[in-house]
Amino acid sequence: MLASDAITNREDAATRPPTGFKAWTRRLVPVASDAGLKSAHFRKPGIAVWLLAPQLLILLFFFFIPSWKALSLAFVQVDPFGGTVLFVGLDNFTRLFASASYRSSAVLTFWFTIIQNVATLSIAGLLAFATDQVIRGRFVYKSVILLPYAIAPVISGVLWAFLFNPTVGPMAQFLHSLGLPWDPNRRPFDAQVLITVAAVWKHVCYDYIFMVAALLAVPQSLIEAAALDGARPVRRFFTVSLPIIAPTIFFLVVMNFTYGLFDTFAIIDAVTKGGPGGATNTLVYKVYQDGFVLLDLGSSAAQSIILMALAIVFTILQFRAIERKVNYQV
Amino acid sequence: MVQRNPGLTIFCHIVLFLGAAAVCMPLYFAFVAGSLTTAEVQQTPFPWLPGAHFIDNIATAWNEEDFSRLYINSIIVTAGIVVGKIIISLIAAFAVTYFRFAFRMTAFWLIFISLMLPVEVRIIPTYEAVADAAGPVRWFASATGLSGLVESLTGYRLEAALQWNLVNTYGGLILPLIASASATFLFRQFFLTIPDELCEAARIDGAGPLKFFWDVLLPLSRANIAALSIILFLYGWNQYLWPLLFTTDKSMATVMLGLKNLIPVADAAPAWNIAMAGAFFVMLPPAAIILLMQRWFAKGLVDAGK
Amino acid sequence: MKILSKRAFKACAGGVAISLMTLQLGGTAFAQDKVSVEWWHAMSGRLGEIVDQLIADFNESQDQYEIVGVNKGSYAETFAAMIAAYRVGQHPTLVQATERSFLTMLYSDAVVPVGELMEQQGYEIDWDDFVGPVADFYIVDETPAALPFNSSTAILWYNVDHFRAAGFDKPAETWQELETQLYALKEQGVTDCSMALAGDFIWSMVEGYSAINDYPYATKANGYGGLDTEYIFNTTPVVGQVERMKKWVDDDVLQIAGQGLSPTQLYTSGDCSTYIASTASHAAVESGAEFDWGATFMPHEEDVAEPKNSNIGGAALWVLKGKSDEEQAAAAAFLDFIAKPETQAWWSGETGYVPVTNAAYELMQSQGFFDEHPTREIAILQLTRGEPTENSRGFRFGNSDQTFAVMNEELQAVWTGQKSVQEALDASVSRGNEILRAYETLHAGK
Repeated sequence: MLASDAITNREDAATRPPTGFKAWTRRLVPVASDAGLKSAHFRKPGIAVWLLAPQLLILLFFFFIPSWKALSLAFVQVDPFGGTVLFVGLDNFTRLFASASYRSSAVLTFWFTIIQNVATLSIAGLLAFATDQVIRGRFVYKSVILLPYAIAPVISGVLWAFLFNPTVGPMAQFLHSLGLPWDPNRRPFDAQVLITVAAVWKHVCYDYIFMVAALLAVPQSLIEAAALDGARPVRRFFTVSLPIIAPTIFFLVVMNFTYGLFDTFAIIDAVTKGGPGGATNTLVYKVYQDGFVLLDLGSSAAQSIILMALAIVFTILQFRAIERKVNYQV
Repeated sequence: MVQRNPGLTIFCHIVLFLGAAAVCMPLYFAFVAGSLTTAEVQQTPFPWLPGAHFIDNIATAWNEEDFSRLYINSIIVTAGIVVGKIIISLIAAFAVTYFRFAFRMTAFWLIFISLMLPVEVRIIPTYEAVADAAGPVRWFASATGLSGLVESLTGYRLEAALQWNLVNTYGGLILPLIASASATFLFRQFFLTIPDELCEAARIDGAGPLKFFWDVLLPLSRANIAALSIILFLYGWNQYLWPLLFTTDKSMATVMLGLKNLIPVADAAPAWNIAMAGAFFVMLPPAAIILLMQRWFAKGLVDAGK
Repeated sequence: MKILSKRAFKACAGGVAISLMTLQLGGTAFAQDKVSVEWWHAMSGRLGEIVDQLIADFNESQDQYEIVGVNKGSYAETFAAMIAAYRVGQHPTLVQATERSFLTMLYSDAVVPVGELMEQQGYEIDWDDFVGPVADFYIVDETPAALPFNSSTAILWYNVDHFRAAGFDKPAETWQELETQLYALKEQGVTDCSMALAGDFIWSMVEGYSAINDYPYATKANGYGGLDTEYIFNTTPVVGQVERMKKWVDDDVLQIAGQGLSPTQLYTSGDCSTYIASTASHAAVESGAEFDWGATFMPHEEDVAEPKNSNIGGAALWVLKGKSDEEQAAAAAFLDFIAKPETQAWWSGETGYVPVTNAAYELMQSQGFFDEHPTREIAILQLTRGEPTENSRGFRFGNSDQTFAVMNEELQAVWTGQKSVQEALDASVSRGNEILRAYETLHAGK
């Protein structure tokens, strides 16, 4: 095989104008079509298709088809058993947009997602930086910090609710002894703080482990070179390590975002059940509650569509705003 | 060797100690609750120090369910999720970062979009997908007239033959959980940081894409694979709603279902001490994985690759 | 070399994957000559063990049928699992569903009414023997739709030590006098928390309150007269009841449990002097309360001379369609076993749920059960009190769990001070009526 067939390089690719379908996908997806492609890459579409096939097939059967079925219910009212189906057009959507509680839920979700994201990333970043600095006890620290992640969510959700229960919880008693009027059952702000702390706690291990892994992959030679130039550890972290692990951080920003937006309903269900008075009723908790518990499948599907659309818009914005700034070449 | 700053090192130890204490706080109270009697666990103020019944409660919890069987199921299912997801994600990420082809970005976004709708939201139709995995194929066959064709040619009824029910099988517990993009996205991000010279060097050696993947990318991805294995192991191990819906046979249940069964419901005696003690032996395999996988976190991988 | 080993690895992995997909580690072996049917239920923990015992007793009592009990998590999870399975025809024969899903089940076109099934299969069950509100709830057009299984009602629990310390014998019978007592308990420093409420307080404090005091909750006899019923509880003394609760919450007399290990803990720990919750809390109180505890009837309004029966809670057993005659026969045999006075008496004694037939109640009396456990009798006495009226016989609303969630949210907004009581109840009624209309449109003509 001739090596030049298999590999093309940047100059070659840049001179080829996009045509046909590729041009269309480029308009559809705002990121340039060469984004995320190695400049040294292969041109063997046949192999690529085989490599992608398992993932795409599984997604087709267990994601796209079920999701399509779930989302298509957005335009009907339906008996959960599937016996009676009534086409209602956009009623499910108009009812949502008319509802004040849905709008306040959207605002809450916005702030919750952002604060959760920033807090998780900062705490995990600090811990990962510290882990990278110490030599003695590194193994113990890593293990102990990761251990709580192993506790079953069915247990940890209950624990959070219990620890901060204003009457019986030890942590609530501690807060009261500091003179704080802690009561997440009656003070909406307390409840919002509680779910944010619980969500951060749940996810901080996730960010931590990937940051530790990424910092390990920073070439020692670069750090040593920076040290020879007289850069102190904190400065080395910001000028050498951080740019190199930026792709991982971008990965974590996106994952924290989808975590906050989508995967927090279980902890909300255990800790506040969306209360008090809807104060912690995030968009995804409402989707879960209406769709799975209350079986209002039509409304739940409409909410899912809105939530998905929001998530896609935000993700595209993130790709445009951040990924372009991330330098993938060391 | 880089010089270390003693002040910074002490600061880092303090940060790590506080961080470890904060994340372990709920774990500690689970231990305290697991060491009390059922009457004690209902008292206030809740004690800050553990009681004397941890071992008894562990024994009670273990005997309440057939945990040895549940363990085997959980390990098979979780291993399936970890191995399956890592393999399909690695190769898919390889395809979208190292190959130029027409639908590259479309494929990436198709995979990526699966992060946007959590399992629980589409759980009822996903049950249909698992209970009748061949359904879409049958639909396709009859919509395209393929089944009629086959039947007229061979007398073979395609609809009757294409039945694939995954309820109460390991496949039904594994496959739907593999269908997500997080791992693919991680590997894509990681591959993008790998220096181009490595690929060019492989080209000079005359290596094809698969050889490059096997000899260069895979060893470089070791720390990421280890990190991901830990995360996926915990993800698979802690699944509750999915196995609950997809198993009806007790012999196919997982430890998480057993644990949930220990958690008292509203009208029952609140034996939280038993449930909390149970949480500890349920934690053992994930804890073991965390310790084992640490070996793979070693510095200098990238330097060695060069 | 590497390529080769990779191929070998691939082939090996592929083989393992394929065999895993279809593998089951040798499932439970069933005796082939028995007809085996599944029953999906929501009983876990100690209740789950009692259910397993019940099933084992039935399976041993005869050799034709075998019931396989499957715990499917909470009621909501059991229900969702059942629906998902029903849509692909893999549902169980028997399923346990709460009283709140009654209409959803009844008009689902997915169930065989239990009355019809028992008649077809030749079992005679004396439906007149079921206690009033229970029978009224589950019998539609003289045909019982489901078999009540675990039924309960709310009662008032109290801490005898606290009441003695404050100079009272027991809680008063009316809300007005009870209020004086609760404030006295607090003012005398006996307790910081005079009353605790479980999370489902709407069931006891709003619905139950309306039934006991004979106030209408909705038009058309609380839904018994047709699907075109409308909520009207924002125009009844319910407004005063919620205002009283708001005052108590503000004065720290009343704690609404919220989330935590268990709301019952507020009472069993000795923190709260009274607790309004299901009679099924007996299991928790008997195991956890280390003080002299007692229980009594729910209070009523002072201008109500004869309080009526309270409302039921809990769940019933339904038989799903699409099963063979043999499987239906097995289900019928099991239901017949459950309805037997001996089974009922045993189940009630073990769990704290109410015996649902008069025969079972009499059997428990004759066994002297209530002499030993006097508080266990309160629920059944309260359920059978007086002649049921249109306002007290029960509630029959479509998608009532959706309305329940809406009311929860609205009433929490009262406790947090975001809404006035009247605003919250008005909003509950208007949002609740929308839910009723949606259900009515979907099930027009039923």
